[in-house]
Amino acid sequence: MLIIAGIVPVAEIPLITGSVQMKDDSIVVDGHRIPWSQGTAAMIAAALATTDYLGLEAPRAILAGDTGAGRGSRTLYKYLIDNVAAIHPKVLALHYWMPDLELMHQLYEKVDRLQPRPILIADAASMYAAKAAGLASGFDVFTPDCSELAFLADADAFHPAYIAKHLFEMDSDRNPELIETAFKLKGAARILLVKGPRDLIADETGILEVIDGPDIPAMECIGGTGDSITGMCSALLFGGMNAVQAAAISAGANRIAGQLAAVTPASSISSVVKQIPKALAQVLGEQP
Amino acid sequence: MAWFGKSNKSSAAQRGKQQVESGLVIFYSVEDAIMAERILNKNDIRCRLVAPPPFLRKGCDLALEINLIQQAAVQRILQDRVPVVQISPLSGTAELLDIIKVSEYDGYTMVKAGNMKLTFENASGMIVNTSGGGCPDIPYMNIELVGKRLDQIRRPKEMGHSLCSLMLDRAAEGAQEIWEERKSQC
Repeated sequence: MLIIAGIVPVAEIPLITGSVQMKDDSIVVDGHRIPWSQGTAAMIAAALATTDYLGLEAPRAILAGDTGAGRGSRTLYKYLIDNVAAIHPKVLALHYWMPDLELMHQLYEKVDRLQPRPILIADAASMYAAKAAGLASGFDVFTPDCSELAFLADADAFHPAYIAKHLFEMDSDRNPELIETAFKLKGAARILLVKGPRDLIADETGILEVIDGPDIPAMECIGGTGDSITGMCSALLFGGMNAVQAAAISAGANRIAGQLAAVTPASSISSVVKQIPKALAQVLGEQP
Repeated sequence: MAWFGKSNKSSAAQRGKQQVESGLVIFYSVEDAIMAERILNKNDIRCRLVAPPPFLRKGCDLALEINLIQQAAVQRILQDRVPVVQISPLSGTAELLDIIKVSEYDGYTMVKAGNMKLTFENASGMIVNTSGGGCPDIPYMNIELVGKRLDQIRRPKEMGHSLCSLMLDRAAEGAQEIWEERKSQC
């Protein structure tokens, strides 16, 4: 089972769980229709497009409404802490929510006891919490962008808003240095997929893959393009790929989806998600 | 909130974990610190009065310990009610990241502050996208901001709760300045 957990920006939505369906430009979970906007909804839409393409079981979502106050986030943490052992997912992908180091520790301890151990992926504030809590190296995949990589490489920072200025100012050409530092300081997951002008996939031995084409600079502007990579990567891991392959294919497919959608800085993430099946077919060398 | 927990029973390791995300609000007077504690508690923001460490003693000898993730909400609630000297983390870099990076695209400008990016159309000043971030107010603010002109938005620091919202606010502020400057040159 692939579980994706995170908040959605609709305060009225209670804790909901269930298999995900697609309806027009929305995902549907437990009867709630949630548009594909930036965040966990975009990640789920990309994961669902991928599981559909591969003929796999649809992802199951665990969601709660939260527009920033953190109540929905805490409900989510607590639900996962209480239920993750019974759910026992193959892949657990954690996404947008209020970082809470103590609750992240509690959840991690529950997950870590499971045999077989679920594959753990974190992006967005789940990644912030995992790193700040000193748990990064226990995760399988992180998917930071360039500024988030600087955060992972800053031993003292607990949030990207408080990284050292010289790290933020570093050019993306120096990402390999930051990757090395992040691994050395135990701020990295087992595999890093760094999203940037060149997507870099690395482990503690160094850069393993570089994905740099097609070059679609406008993708950086579009809210949700990082979420779509993480969603695809989660689904590919669920399908049995190893983490390096899953990261490389999701990074490449995201770029091709952007190219097929002919994105501009004003495009929406839904235009990219709609192209994921064709993009995956190209990357995997198959007919759509 | 699990951040404070039961401090007298927590282990050293737990206290260490809590300190990572803690910040201090520094005030000019003891009275201001006490008043701020009362106001924040009424607004469901957990905090406690503490003595600031020597390196943060810029005002009175009483400070408020907060969960720094909620910095935006704390700033907004105390604004115009209690004067604040500064808000600082208890560890690491003391200053919130205050620099922006600007990228130009054909007809659009992207302004990046920390982990947040905001893109506007040069001709109209309309926000066409926000991206990056990870805190729970960010997807909400994406919906609130996209499609609106830079001079017609509610600032992210007025809507948000998190450090990501403060970074998005810096990006919005930078974008407004760039757009206004370009308009004045036309």
